[in-house]
Amino acid sequence: MVSLRGGDETLTSAFAHLDLVPRKGRLVPLRTKDEVRASLETYQAYVVELPSKYAGVIKDAIQRALPDLKTADFQHLRRVVQFKFLPPHLQQQFKSPRGDTEPALDDAEAEDESAVRYFLVSPTSAIQHADLLATLRKSPPFTNRPPRIFYVTVPALAPTSAEQAEKWTNQFWPIAYKNTNPYGPHPSLVSRNTAEIEADAGHLLALTQSAANQTSEKGLGEQVGCVVVDNSNGRQEIIALAGDCRWRSPLGEAEPKEGQGNVMAHAVQRAIAIVAKKRLRAAGKDELILDRTLFCDTPLTDLEAQVFEVDNIARNGYLCVDLDIYVTHEPCVMCSMAILHSRFKRCIFGTRMPFTGGLTADPVKGRVGENVHVEKGLGHGIFWRPSELNWKLLAWEWKDEDAADEGMITNSISDTLQA
Amino acid sequence: MDDEERKVHEGFMREAIKMAELALVSDETPVGCVFVHDGVIIGRGMNETNRTLNGTRHAEFVALAGILSKHPISILKETDLYVTVEPCVMCASMLRQYGIRKVYFGCWNERFGGTGGVLNIHSDPSVDKPYPVHGGIFREEAILLLRKFYVQENEKAPEPKQKRTRELKTEINPMDVHAPKSMKSEAEKAKMKAEKVQVNGTANRTVTT
Repeated sequence: MVSLRGGDETLTSAFAHLDLVPRKGRLVPLRTKDEVRASLETYQAYVVELPSKYAGVIKDAIQRALPDLKTADFQHLRRVVQFKFLPPHLQQQFKSPRGDTEPALDDAEAEDESAVRYFLVSPTSAIQHADLLATLRKSPPFTNRPPRIFYVTVPALAPTSAEQAEKWTNQFWPIAYKNTNPYGPHPSLVSRNTAEIEADAGHLLALTQSAANQTSEKGLGEQVGCVVVDNSNGRQEIIALAGDCRWRSPLGEAEPKEGQGNVMAHAVQRAIAIVAKKRLRAAGKDELILDRTLFCDTPLTDLEAQVFEVDNIARNGYLCVDLDIYVTHEPCVMCSMAILHSRFKRCIFGTRMPFTGGLTADPVKGRVGENVHVEKGLGHGIFWRPSELNWKLLAWEWKDEDAADEGMITNSISDTLQA
Repeated sequence: MDDEERKVHEGFMREAIKMAELALVSDETPVGCVFVHDGVIIGRGMNETNRTLNGTRHAEFVALAGILSKHPISILKETDLYVTVEPCVMCASMLRQYGIRKVYFGCWNERFGGTGGVLNIHSDPSVDKPYPVHGGIFREEAILLLRKFYVQENEKAPEPKQKRTRELKTEINPMDVHAPKSMKSEAEKAKMKAEKVQVNGTANRTVTT
């Protein structure tokens, strides 16, 4: 098995007995709510064909005619573009039809394709077509021949990654990518964090499954489990491990599975409570203070107990700051917000929950029948909404190596469970 | 809502406020709640995030842990919640999964409210049945309690820190910890007002949020 770097030795040997088989696959960073929004919005813009030497003149003429035009709003769009850099559909659209009798660019330069430029004027909302035409006709080279004005669809907001910029360049209009992300975590932050956790993520997700198995085998809960890890300062400590206990009665027995069960005993809630107990103990306080059976926040399986007994939580810590949480499934809305309230640093989950997950912002594509395709998701994107909620963190979903592009989405418990 | 009906709701909200007052004297964020079944209070709760070092121990969780040790979960389908501050996103989702009948609250929570303040977890698409909410019962009192809490925190604060040390934000202010429940917007305004009441120089701790 993969060994856990610098972790407690008793735990390492305890985990060795589990014969964990690390999941094979990769981490995919979640898209934020704003990123999803940004990737969907487009608007119409005017493009005018001109000889390259007039680009500056026309630019100035437009600026004079539209003094309020905020070019900063479309800085992600290349302003002056050569024919060969246009996406195929625009090359098709802009090409002069053969036998064209329109007096197009008939200068010597126009014959030379490389001297023709396509100038992105403004959003169509900024000026009426007739007014634009009148403005252009006042300026050379259009004083004695009409300009060709086109409509193009462009992305309204800046791209959030190099890949997206490239995709949009082919799909809409040449895009400038400035290596920033106003709608989510900076790409370099995401890649640095991915690099920090990717080597062990498959292994830790296998451990969440063991946590899930131990409580579900006792009939205490669903097959949901989670592990809290301190992966900071070169350490790697398993701080807490918990399985779902929603079917555990107040007396500690397995209950019949009716309704949603004891919601407060979801694995994530239990793990957070166990971290708090470790903190109380580390501070020399009574770990049973205000304890209540219904929270199920004491260890209930051998594995949970083994992890709980180790005093490996960093001193002077606060809630779950600097800690990572691994969950078998995408946490429900309640658990997603509990992760935020607890100030976790990173969250990694093994399986998306199309009907109940609270972290993802974009829907998951899937099939409901042989050839019936749907997109499902609540769209809350709770992990990263800094302008609305009180904390933000990085989050990833796991993609198994052999997973199909479009899985089946059903109304079975596996998709509708509140994890 | 007629007068008679309003009096009933105000009576239960008064009991929730008592729980919030209890939280205040226990150095917890003053949020309190009661659960009512057939006109009878079956559980009470207050925020306990400070003493448990657990940011999820909101009043609703605390009250339900008591209720469900005595009653079956199904009782919640005929039970209403009265809480001084709008349930947060987490609690709003929990209440829906349990099948709560209706939620009455005092002031809105525009920092992480889950029933209208920020998100609409009570009514958005979900596998669980939606529930109705009614806000604004004794709203001012709920805000006043939060304001008192901030004043109290300020009074307890040590001598004013130098600007230089204050900017070093490695140490997280206890306020932030417990804040989970309430704050911002209405709550935030309450805090700012509370700070204003301080004589110059005694409002020595800036609450970071």
